[in-house]
Amino acid sequence: MKSSTYKNRLITGFSLLTFLLLWALAAARIGKEIILPNPLVTMAQLWRLLTSGLFWAHLGATLGRGLLGFTLAFLAGLACGLLSGRCPTFKTFFHLWLTVIRSTPSMALILLALIWFKANAVTLFVTFLVVFPLITQNVMEGLKQIDPELEEMARLYQVSFRRRIRRLYLPAIMPYLATGAAAGLGITWKVMIAAEVMAYPQLGIGTRMDTARTYLETAEVFAWTVVIIAISLFFDRILDTLLRKKLLYWE
Amino acid sequence: MKPVEFTLNNITKYYGPLHVIDNISLTVETNKIVAFLGPSGCGKTTLFSIIAGLKAPDQGLVSGMGGKAISYLFQEPRLLDWLTVAQNLAFVLEEHIPRSAVPASVKAALEQMEIGAVHDTYPRKLSGGQRQRVAMARALAYPSQLLLMDEPFKSLDLTLKWSLIDRLHQSWAAAPRTVLLVTHDPKEAVLLADEVYVLSPKPAVIKSHHLISLPRTERKPDALPFLQLEQQIIAALI
Repeated sequence: MKSSTYKNRLITGFSLLTFLLLWALAAARIGKEIILPNPLVTMAQLWRLLTSGLFWAHLGATLGRGLLGFTLAFLAGLACGLLSGRCPTFKTFFHLWLTVIRSTPSMALILLALIWFKANAVTLFVTFLVVFPLITQNVMEGLKQIDPELEEMARLYQVSFRRRIRRLYLPAIMPYLATGAAAGLGITWKVMIAAEVMAYPQLGIGTRMDTARTYLETAEVFAWTVVIIAISLFFDRILDTLLRKKLLYWE
Repeated sequence: MKPVEFTLNNITKYYGPLHVIDNISLTVETNKIVAFLGPSGCGKTTLFSIIAGLKAPDQGLVSGMGGKAISYLFQEPRLLDWLTVAQNLAFVLEEHIPRSAVPASVKAALEQMEIGAVHDTYPRKLSGGQRQRVAMARALAYPSQLLLMDEPFKSLDLTLKWSLIDRLHQSWAAAPRTVLLVTHDPKEAVLLADEVYVLSPKPAVIKSHHLISLPRTERKPDALPFLQLEQQIIAALI
């Protein structure tokens, strides 16, 4: 077991090295930093960003909006998912809305939001609408998977509703909620950046990326991309240890 | 006149056009073990649901069941995977016995089933037989007047089945309560019950009623009186 995780780490390290090498080779072959800056130039640019004054402000703005949008979507999704799982009328009523929201391209959402709202609200609106159906659906799926025989057992033994929620329903949907949260948070950063590129809020990574592109600062676009990937991995890892592993301790 | 636990008066049940139970009347005395035998799908489980108040009969009346606490033992153990064995028992106990008495009660019930060692284990880590014993410990620890068992030994191997029947006997002898058992196995019925009702195929009516007066200590599956009783019941079933 232990040696296999060690082996996996070696393979992952090798995979990363190969990627960087291919990147460097391609950059050398093209020979134009404007088209493809090599990894070292990108890292140097990243360092310059990190030490420049506004990096943390842009990072904080994107993180803050992303987390706010995600949290709102998570809470609304949880509520709507529970309601749909408990009340068939609501589920049937809501099904159409959910399908429409899910099928609308995020670019269409962004364009409409640009017409309706100011920059900050655009990014929140779009993130919310992309993440919300994902959480709702996972909660519904989790409720569907609750064994009716367990519910019957709890009822027959006259376990109170409050206790059933805490000990039966919530633990039962937790794995689905965790999966939904991980997927939702992953997509949050992608959508957030796209919305920022289009909406140009004063502070935000997307704004910086598009500005850099305009000035042909390709290395900066790359550096910000690295930052976004790092954010995404960071939250994925946090969720992984915090939720998935802790919640499935009994497996 | 012995104390009566409950009475069924002319119970009839349909599922749509399907006639499941036809005019069943019977009286169950307090602290007796009563077995219901019948072919698969004859409506035994439906009868149980009606007794427990989970389903309403289309005709007839159940009297004496109002407000009674019931323990259940199902074919499947029905444990919550995310709670330990002890927490699974506490889940049903804590609202029905004083909180301070729960740990001791849980411990005693598990030890009675000889599974004290799995107190803090999660159900997924147990064997099928162990899980069913946990379910039985839960049913026995629960402060009920009635214990309803719906084919609880169906998926168990013979050794385990007999050992559980033995445990159930011991527990029942120490603290009697009314026990109803649904089974399709005449041996199980003769081993456990004071009375046996044999039901017909759907729609279920009572085909015959047997009193098992053979003392429990003499119920050896290879002894002649036992075999005779078993034969009687098999004859009634076919």
